[in-house]
Amino acid sequence: MDRTEIEGLIARVALKDRAAFEALYDRVNAKLFGVCLRVLNKRAAAEDAMQDTFVKIWNNADRYRANGLSPMTWLITIARNTSIDRLRARRKGHMDVDTPGLELAAPGPSPEQYAVAASEAKKLSGCLDTLEADRGAAVRGAYLDGQTYADLAAKFGVPLNTMRTWLRRGLMALRECMS
Amino acid sequence: MSDDIQLPERDDDFLAAEYVLGLADGDAMAAIKARLRDDPSFATHVALWQERFVAMTDDIAPVAARKKVKRAVLTQIFPKASVPLLDRLWVWKGITVAALVLAAYVAFPTLRPSDPALPDTVYATQLRGDSALEVLAVVDPNGGEIALRTLAGSAPEGRVLELWAILPDQAPVSLGVLPQGDAVRIALPEVYAVVVRQLTLAITDEPVGGAPDGVPTGSIMAAGTVSEL
Repeated sequence: MDRTEIEGLIARVALKDRAAFEALYDRVNAKLFGVCLRVLNKRAAAEDAMQDTFVKIWNNADRYRANGLSPMTWLITIARNTSIDRLRARRKGHMDVDTPGLELAAPGPSPEQYAVAASEAKKLSGCLDTLEADRGAAVRGAYLDGQTYADLAAKFGVPLNTMRTWLRRGLMALRECMS
Repeated sequence: MSDDIQLPERDDDFLAAEYVLGLADGDAMAAIKARLRDDPSFATHVALWQERFVAMTDDIAPVAARKKVKRAVLTQIFPKASVPLLDRLWVWKGITVAALVLAAYVAFPTLRPSDPALPDTVYATQLRGDSALEVLAVVDPNGGEIALRTLAGSAPEGRVLELWAILPDQAPVSLGVLPQGDAVRIALPEVYAVVVRQLTLAITDEPVGGAPDGVPTGSIMAAGTVSEL
Protein backbone atom coordinates (compact mmCIF):
# COMPACT_ATOMS: atom_id res chain seq x y z
CA MET A 1 0.00 0.00 0.00
CA ASP A 2 1.27 3.43 -0.92
CA ARG A 3 2.47 5.10 2.23
CA THR A 4 2.47 8.64 0.84
CA GLU A 5 -1.07 8.27 -0.46
CA ILE A 6 -2.46 6.99 2.83
CA GLU A 7 -0.56 9.65 4.73
CA GLY A 8 -1.97 12.34 2.46
CA LEU A 9 -5.49 11.07 3.06
CA ILE A 10 -5.00 11.02 6.84
CA ALA A 11 -3.67 14.59 6.69
CA ARG A 12 -6.79 15.70 4.85
CA VAL A 13 -9.04 13.78 7.25
CA ALA A 14 -7.35 15.74 10.04
CA LEU A 15 -8.73 18.84 8.31
CA LYS A 16 -12.18 17.23 8.41
CA ASP A 17 -12.27 16.56 4.68
CA ARG A 18 -15.18 14.19 4.15
CA ALA A 19 -14.17 13.16 0.62
CA ALA A 20 -10.72 12.19 1.89
CA PHE A 21 -12.30 10.23 4.72
CA GLU A 22 -14.45 8.26 2.32
CA ALA A 23 -11.46 7.64 0.07
CA LEU A 24 -9.43 6.44 3.06
CA TYR A 25 -12.27 4.15 4.08
CA ASP A 26 -12.50 2.66 0.61
CA ARG A 27 -8.75 2.19 0.50
CA VAL A 28 -8.21 0.45 3.86
CA ASN A 29 -11.53 -0.96 5.04
CA ALA A 30 -10.84 -4.49 3.79
CA LYS A 31 -7.52 -4.78 5.65
CA LEU A 32 -8.96 -3.31 8.83
CA PHE A 33 -12.09 -5.43 8.65
CA GLY A 34 -9.92 -8.51 8.19
CA VAL A 35 -8.15 -7.62 11.43
CA CYS A 36 -11.39 -6.95 13.34
CA LEU A 37 -12.80 -10.24 12.08
CA ARG A 38 -9.64 -12.14 13.07
CA VAL A 39 -9.80 -10.79 16.64
CA LEU A 40 -13.56 -10.94 17.20
CA ASN A 41 -14.39 -13.88 15.00
CA LYS A 42 -17.99 -12.76 14.57
CA ARG A 43 -19.18 -10.63 11.73
CA ALA A 44 -21.64 -8.48 13.69
CA ALA A 45 -19.11 -7.73 16.43
CA ALA A 46 -16.41 -7.01 13.84
CA GLU A 47 -18.74 -4.59 12.07
CA ASP A 48 -19.37 -2.73 15.32
CA ALA A 49 -15.65 -2.56 15.94
CA MET A 50 -15.13 -1.23 12.43
CA GLN A 51 -17.59 1.55 13.07
CA ASP A 52 -15.80 2.52 16.30
CA THR A 53 -12.47 2.28 14.55
CA PHE A 54 -13.37 4.70 11.80
CA VAL A 55 -14.99 7.15 14.20
CA LYS A 56 -11.71 7.13 16.16
CA ILE A 57 -9.76 7.65 12.95
CA TRP A 58 -11.96 10.62 12.10
CA ASN A 59 -11.64 12.11 15.58
CA ASN A 60 -7.92 11.52 16.06
CA ALA A 61 -6.43 11.96 12.60
CA ASP A 62 -4.76 15.16 13.76
CA ARG A 63 -2.77 13.15 16.28
CA TYR A 64 -1.40 10.74 13.78
CA ARG A 65 1.77 12.70 13.07
CA ALA A 66 2.56 13.22 16.71
CA ASN A 67 2.61 9.49 17.22
CA GLY A 68 5.07 8.94 14.41
CA LEU A 69 3.87 5.48 13.33
CA SER A 70 3.71 4.45 9.71
CA PRO A 71 0.16 5.08 8.48
CA MET A 72 -0.91 1.46 8.06
CA THR A 73 0.52 0.59 11.48
CA TRP A 74 -1.46 3.41 13.02
CA LEU A 75 -4.69 2.39 11.31
CA ILE A 76 -4.30 -1.34 11.95
CA THR A 77 -3.32 -0.72 15.58
CA ILE A 78 -6.51 1.28 16.13
CA ALA A 79 -8.59 -1.51 14.57
CA ARG A 80 -6.79 -4.17 16.60
CA ASN A 81 -7.02 -2.26 19.90
CA THR A 82 -10.67 -1.42 19.35
CA SER A 83 -11.43 -5.07 18.64
CA ILE A 84 -9.51 -6.26 21.70
CA ASP A 85 -11.41 -3.74 23.83
CA ARG A 86 -14.71 -5.11 22.56
CA LEU A 87 -13.59 -8.66 23.11
CA ARG A 88 -12.63 -7.90 26.68
CA ALA A 89 -15.69 -5.84 27.41
CA ARG A 90 -17.51 -9.18 27.55
CA ARG A 91 -15.08 -10.52 30.10
CA LYS A 92 -14.33 -9.35 33.58
CA GLY A 93 -11.09 -7.63 34.46
CA HIS A 94 -11.51 -5.55 31.34
CA MET A 95 -8.53 -3.34 30.52
CA ASP A 96 -8.45 -0.64 27.91
CA VAL A 97 -5.90 -0.71 25.18
CA ASP A 98 -5.71 2.75 23.81
CA THR A 99 -5.86 4.38 20.46
CA PRO A 100 -2.24 5.11 19.61
CA GLY A 101 -1.53 8.80 19.90
CA LEU A 102 -4.52 9.40 22.10
CA GLU A 103 -2.21 10.45 24.86
CA LEU A 104 -0.03 12.86 23.02
CA ALA A 105 3.25 11.11 23.43
CA ALA A 106 6.31 13.24 23.47
CA PRO A 107 8.29 13.04 20.20
CA GLY A 108 8.41 9.46 19.06
CA PRO A 109 11.08 7.50 17.27
CA SER A 110 13.41 9.01 14.72
CA PRO A 111 13.10 7.96 11.07
CA GLU A 112 16.20 5.79 11.51
CA GLN A 113 14.70 3.99 14.50
CA TYR A 114 11.59 3.39 12.42
CA ALA A 115 13.48 1.98 9.54
CA VAL A 116 15.10 -0.47 11.93
CA ALA A 117 11.79 -1.40 13.56
CA ALA A 118 10.18 -1.89 10.17
CA SER A 119 12.93 -4.21 9.04
CA GLU A 120 12.72 -6.07 12.36
CA ALA A 121 8.99 -6.43 11.86
CA LYS A 122 9.61 -8.35 8.67
CA LYS A 123 11.40 -10.98 10.74
CA LEU A 124 8.80 -11.08 13.51
CA SER A 125 6.81 -13.98 12.21
CA GLY A 126 9.84 -16.14 11.56
CA CYS A 127 11.32 -15.23 14.92
CA LEU A 128 8.11 -16.01 16.81
CA ASP A 129 8.34 -19.48 15.33
CA THR A 130 11.87 -19.94 16.63
CA LEU A 131 10.82 -19.19 20.22
CA GLU A 132 9.96 -22.07 22.46
CA ALA A 133 6.53 -22.94 21.13
CA ASP A 134 4.56 -21.79 24.16
CA ARG A 135 6.23 -18.39 24.23
CA GLY A 136 5.51 -17.61 20.62
CA ALA A 137 1.92 -18.72 21.15
CA ALA A 138 1.68 -16.48 24.23
CA VAL A 139 2.76 -13.40 22.27
CA ARG A 140 0.31 -14.17 19.46
CA GLY A 141 -2.44 -14.99 21.96
CA ALA A 142 -2.01 -11.63 23.64
CA TYR A 143 -1.80 -9.60 20.45
CA LEU A 144 -4.42 -11.31 18.32
CA ASP A 145 -6.76 -12.86 20.88
CA GLY A 146 -6.55 -10.30 23.67
CA GLN A 147 -5.42 -12.86 26.20
CA THR A 148 -4.31 -11.52 29.56
CA TYR A 149 -1.62 -12.93 31.83
CA ALA A 150 -4.34 -14.75 33.72
CA ASP A 151 -5.70 -16.26 30.49
CA LEU A 152 -2.25 -17.28 29.35
CA ALA A 153 -1.27 -18.72 32.73
CA ALA A 154 -4.43 -20.82 32.74
CA LYS A 155 -3.88 -21.91 29.16
CA PHE A 156 -0.34 -23.09 29.76
CA GLY A 157 -0.99 -24.32 33.29
CA VAL A 158 1.68 -22.21 34.99
CA PRO A 159 1.53 -19.67 37.81
CA LEU A 160 0.97 -16.07 36.77
CA ASN A 161 4.44 -14.88 37.73
CA THR A 162 6.02 -17.69 35.77
CA MET A 163 3.96 -16.65 32.78
CA ARG A 164 5.26 -13.13 33.07
CA THR A 165 8.84 -14.34 33.27
CA TRP A 166 8.32 -16.58 30.26
CA LEU A 167 6.97 -13.76 28.24
CA ARG A 168 9.75 -11.43 29.25
CA ARG A 169 12.36 -13.96 28.21
CA GLY A 170 10.42 -14.66 25.06
CA LEU A 171 10.40 -10.99 24.13
CA MET A 172 14.09 -10.64 24.85
CA ALA A 173 14.82 -13.61 22.62
CA LEU A 174 12.54 -12.08 20.03
CA ARG A 175 14.45 -8.78 20.03
CA GLU A 176 17.67 -10.67 19.64
CA CYS A 177 16.35 -12.75 16.76
CA MET A 178 14.91 -9.76 14.93
CA SER A 179 17.93 -7.47 15.24
CA MET B 1 11.32 -14.47 42.17
CA SER B 2 15.03 -14.63 41.38
CA ASP B 3 14.16 -13.65 37.82
CA ASP B 4 13.11 -10.22 38.94
CA ILE B 5 16.55 -9.56 40.32
CA GLN B 6 18.22 -10.34 37.04
CA LEU B 7 15.54 -8.51 35.11
CA PRO B 8 14.75 -5.22 36.83
CA GLU B 9 11.08 -4.37 37.14
CA ARG B 10 11.54 -1.03 35.45
CA ASP B 11 12.72 -2.42 32.19
CA ASP B 12 11.15 0.13 29.88
CA ASP B 13 11.42 -1.92 26.74
CA PHE B 14 9.59 -4.82 28.34
CA LEU B 15 7.03 -2.54 29.96
CA ALA B 16 6.35 -0.97 26.56
CA ALA B 17 5.97 -4.38 24.90
CA GLU B 18 3.57 -5.50 27.62
CA TYR B 19 1.55 -2.33 27.16
CA VAL B 20 1.33 -2.77 23.40
CA LEU B 21 0.30 -6.40 23.77
CA GLY B 22 -2.42 -5.30 26.18
CA LEU B 23 -0.87 -7.16 29.09
CA ALA B 24 -0.07 -4.15 31.25
CA ASP B 25 -1.58 -4.36 34.67
CA GLY B 26 -4.75 -2.34 35.19
CA ASP B 27 -3.22 -0.65 38.22
CA ALA B 28 -0.11 0.36 36.31
CA MET B 29 -2.11 1.82 33.44
CA ALA B 30 -2.39 5.38 34.77
CA ALA B 31 1.34 5.54 35.35
CA ILE B 32 2.05 4.15 31.91
CA LYS B 33 -0.19 6.71 30.26
CA ALA B 34 1.51 9.52 32.14
CA ARG B 35 4.91 8.29 30.99
CA LEU B 36 3.69 7.94 27.42
CA ARG B 37 2.71 11.59 27.54
CA ASP B 38 5.81 12.92 29.24
CA ASP B 39 8.66 10.58 28.48
CA PRO B 40 9.90 10.60 24.87
CA SER B 41 12.15 7.62 25.44
CA PHE B 42 9.30 5.48 26.75
CA ALA B 43 6.97 6.70 23.98
CA THR B 44 9.61 5.59 21.51
CA HIS B 45 9.73 2.09 22.99
CA VAL B 46 5.96 1.85 22.67
CA ALA B 47 5.85 3.11 19.08
CA LEU B 48 8.59 0.73 18.01
CA TRP B 49 6.81 -2.27 19.51
CA GLN B 50 3.60 -1.21 17.77
CA GLU B 51 5.52 -1.13 14.51
CA ARG B 52 7.02 -4.58 15.17
CA PHE B 53 3.95 -6.36 16.47
CA VAL B 54 1.71 -5.10 13.66
CA ALA B 55 3.55 -7.64 11.50
CA MET B 56 1.38 -10.28 13.18
CA THR B 57 -1.47 -8.94 11.04
CA ASP B 58 0.45 -9.34 7.76
CA ASP B 59 -1.02 -12.77 7.11
CA ILE B 60 -4.58 -11.68 7.82
CA ALA B 61 -6.45 -11.63 4.52
CA PRO B 62 -8.40 -8.47 3.69
CA VAL B 63 -12.16 -8.88 3.84
CA ALA B 64 -14.29 -6.11 2.37
CA ALA B 65 -16.78 -4.86 4.93
CA ARG B 66 -20.40 -4.80 3.89
CA LYS B 67 -21.68 -1.52 2.44
CA LYS B 68 -23.88 -0.91 5.43
CA VAL B 69 -20.80 -0.50 7.63
CA LYS B 70 -19.65 2.50 5.65
CA ARG B 71 -23.15 3.92 5.75
CA ALA B 72 -23.27 3.48 9.52
CA VAL B 73 -19.88 5.18 9.90
CA LEU B 74 -20.89 8.12 7.74
CA THR B 75 -24.23 8.49 9.47
CA GLN B 76 -22.53 8.56 12.85
CA ILE B 77 -19.92 11.11 11.82
CA PHE B 78 -22.07 13.28 9.59
CA PRO B 79 -25.50 13.22 11.14
CA LYS B 80 -27.88 14.73 8.68
CA ALA B 81 -31.06 14.14 10.58
CA SER B 82 -33.52 16.92 10.88
CA VAL B 83 -31.28 19.94 11.00
CA PRO B 84 -33.63 22.88 10.74
CA LEU B 85 -33.59 24.52 7.34
CA LEU B 86 -32.34 27.77 8.80
CA ASP B 87 -29.28 26.04 10.24
CA ARG B 88 -28.51 24.49 6.91
CA LEU B 89 -28.83 27.76 5.09
CA TRP B 90 -26.13 29.64 6.94
CA VAL B 91 -23.39 27.55 5.38
CA TRP B 92 -24.44 28.67 1.99
CA LYS B 93 -22.12 31.56 1.39
CA GLY B 94 -22.64 34.43 -0.95
CA ILE B 95 -26.11 35.38 0.04
CA THR B 96 -27.63 36.60 3.23
CA VAL B 97 -29.77 34.20 5.14
CA ALA B 98 -32.67 36.58 5.09
CA ALA B 99 -32.59 36.99 1.34
CA LEU B 100 -32.18 33.31 0.76
CA VAL B 101 -34.98 32.27 3.05
CA LEU B 102 -37.27 34.88 1.61
CA ALA B 103 -36.39 33.82 -1.90
CA ALA B 104 -36.68 30.12 -1.23
CA TYR B 105 -39.92 30.67 0.59
CA VAL B 106 -41.47 32.58 -2.23
CA ALA B 107 -40.03 30.50 -5.00
CA PHE B 108 -40.58 27.10 -3.62
CA PRO B 109 -43.40 26.60 -1.15
CA THR B 110 -42.35 23.07 -0.20
CA LEU B 111 -39.23 24.56 1.40
CA ARG B 112 -41.25 26.32 4.01
CA PRO B 113 -39.84 25.17 7.32
CA SER B 114 -43.30 24.42 8.61
CA ASP B 115 -43.94 21.98 5.82
CA PRO B 116 -43.81 18.47 7.22
CA ALA B 117 -42.85 17.16 3.78
CA LEU B 118 -39.56 19.03 3.87
CA PRO B 119 -37.28 17.07 1.57
CA ASP B 120 -34.29 15.42 3.19
CA THR B 121 -31.83 17.01 0.84
CA VAL B 122 -32.09 20.39 -0.77
CA TYR B 123 -30.03 21.40 -3.76
CA ALA B 124 -29.59 24.98 -4.72
CA THR B 125 -27.35 27.54 -6.29
CA GLN B 126 -27.16 31.20 -6.88
CA LEU B 127 -26.55 32.11 -10.50
CA ARG B 128 -24.46 35.20 -11.02
CA GLY B 129 -21.86 36.49 -13.42
CA ASP B 130 -20.60 39.64 -15.08
CA SER B 131 -24.09 41.02 -15.66
CA ALA B 132 -26.37 42.44 -13.02
CA LEU B 133 -28.50 39.33 -13.22
CA GLU B 134 -28.73 37.27 -10.04
CA VAL B 135 -31.04 34.31 -9.85
CA LEU B 136 -31.61 31.89 -7.04
CA ALA B 137 -32.33 28.30 -8.09
CA VAL B 138 -33.64 25.58 -5.84
CA VAL B 139 -33.53 22.16 -7.46
CA ASP B 140 -35.94 19.41 -6.55
CA PRO B 141 -34.57 16.35 -8.36
CA ASN B 142 -37.36 14.10 -7.13
CA GLY B 143 -40.11 16.44 -8.18
CA GLY B 144 -38.32 17.08 -11.47
CA GLU B 145 -38.41 20.81 -11.07
CA ILE B 146 -36.24 23.85 -10.65
CA ALA B 147 -37.70 26.85 -8.90
CA LEU B 148 -36.04 30.11 -9.84
CA ARG B 149 -36.29 33.50 -8.32
CA THR B 150 -34.73 36.58 -9.83
CA LEU B 151 -33.00 38.62 -7.16
CA ALA B 152 -31.59 41.32 -9.42
CA GLY B 153 -31.29 42.23 -13.08
CA SER B 154 -33.34 41.26 -16.11
CA ALA B 155 -33.07 40.34 -19.77
CA PRO B 156 -31.61 43.00 -22.07
CA GLU B 157 -34.18 44.92 -24.12
CA GLY B 158 -35.63 42.72 -26.86
CA ARG B 159 -34.00 39.56 -25.59
CA VAL B 160 -35.12 36.63 -23.43
CA LEU B 161 -33.37 34.60 -20.77
CA GLU B 162 -32.72 30.93 -21.44
CA LEU B 163 -31.72 28.38 -18.82
CA TRP B 164 -29.10 25.70 -19.55
CA ALA B 165 -28.07 22.54 -17.77
CA ILE B 166 -24.38 21.75 -18.03
CA LEU B 167 -22.68 18.55 -16.92
CA PRO B 168 -18.89 18.19 -16.81
CA ASP B 169 -17.38 17.82 -20.30
CA GLN B 170 -20.75 18.03 -21.99
CA ALA B 171 -22.42 20.64 -24.13
CA PRO B 172 -25.13 22.76 -22.50
CA VAL B 173 -28.64 21.42 -22.80
CA SER B 174 -31.48 23.91 -22.92
CA LEU B 175 -34.04 23.68 -20.15
CA GLY B 176 -36.13 26.36 -21.80
CA VAL B 177 -36.75 30.08 -21.92
CA LEU B 178 -37.49 31.58 -18.52
CA PRO B 179 -41.13 32.69 -18.31
CA GLN B 180 -41.87 36.26 -17.27
CA GLY B 181 -42.00 36.85 -13.56
CA ASP B 182 -39.76 36.98 -10.53
CA ALA B 183 -40.53 33.46 -9.37
CA VAL B 184 -40.87 30.77 -11.98
CA ARG B 185 -40.59 27.05 -12.35
CA ILE B 186 -38.86 25.05 -15.04
CA ALA B 187 -39.15 21.31 -15.52
CA LEU B 188 -35.95 19.35 -14.89
CA PRO B 189 -35.62 16.25 -17.10
CA GLU B 190 -35.39 13.07 -15.10
CA VAL B 191 -31.88 12.26 -16.35
CA TYR B 192 -30.52 15.04 -14.15
CA ALA B 193 -31.95 13.65 -10.93
CA VAL B 194 -29.03 11.31 -10.32
CA VAL B 195 -26.31 13.75 -11.36
CA VAL B 196 -27.70 16.80 -9.63
CA ARG B 197 -24.48 17.19 -7.61
CA GLN B 198 -22.50 17.75 -10.80
CA LEU B 199 -24.98 20.06 -12.37
CA THR B 200 -24.16 23.63 -13.36
CA LEU B 201 -26.96 25.97 -14.32
CA ALA B 202 -26.37 28.90 -16.65
CA ILE B 203 -28.52 31.65 -18.08
CA THR B 204 -27.83 33.27 -21.43
CA ASP B 205 -29.61 36.03 -23.26
CA GLU B 206 -31.11 34.83 -26.51
CA PRO B 207 -33.34 36.14 -29.30
CA VAL B 208 -37.06 36.02 -28.60
CA GLY B 209 -38.20 32.42 -28.85
CA GLY B 210 -34.92 31.07 -27.55
CA ALA B 211 -31.67 29.88 -29.06
CA PRO B 212 -32.55 28.75 -32.57
CA ASP B 213 -30.68 25.45 -32.78
CA GLY B 214 -30.60 24.41 -29.17
CA VAL B 215 -27.12 25.91 -28.91
CA PRO B 216 -26.51 29.01 -26.84
CA THR B 217 -25.78 32.07 -28.96
CA GLY B 218 -25.88 34.92 -26.46
CA SER B 219 -23.57 35.77 -23.61
CA ILE B 220 -23.62 33.91 -20.30
CA MET B 221 -25.25 36.36 -17.96
CA ALA B 222 -25.16 34.23 -14.83
CA ALA B 223 -24.15 30.72 -13.81
CA GLY B 224 -23.86 28.63 -10.68
CA THR B 225 -22.98 25.11 -9.63
CA VAL B 226 -25.65 23.22 -7.78
CA SER B 227 -24.70 22.07 -4.33
CA GLU B 228 -26.32 20.31 -1.44
CA LEU B 229 -27.72 22.64 1.15
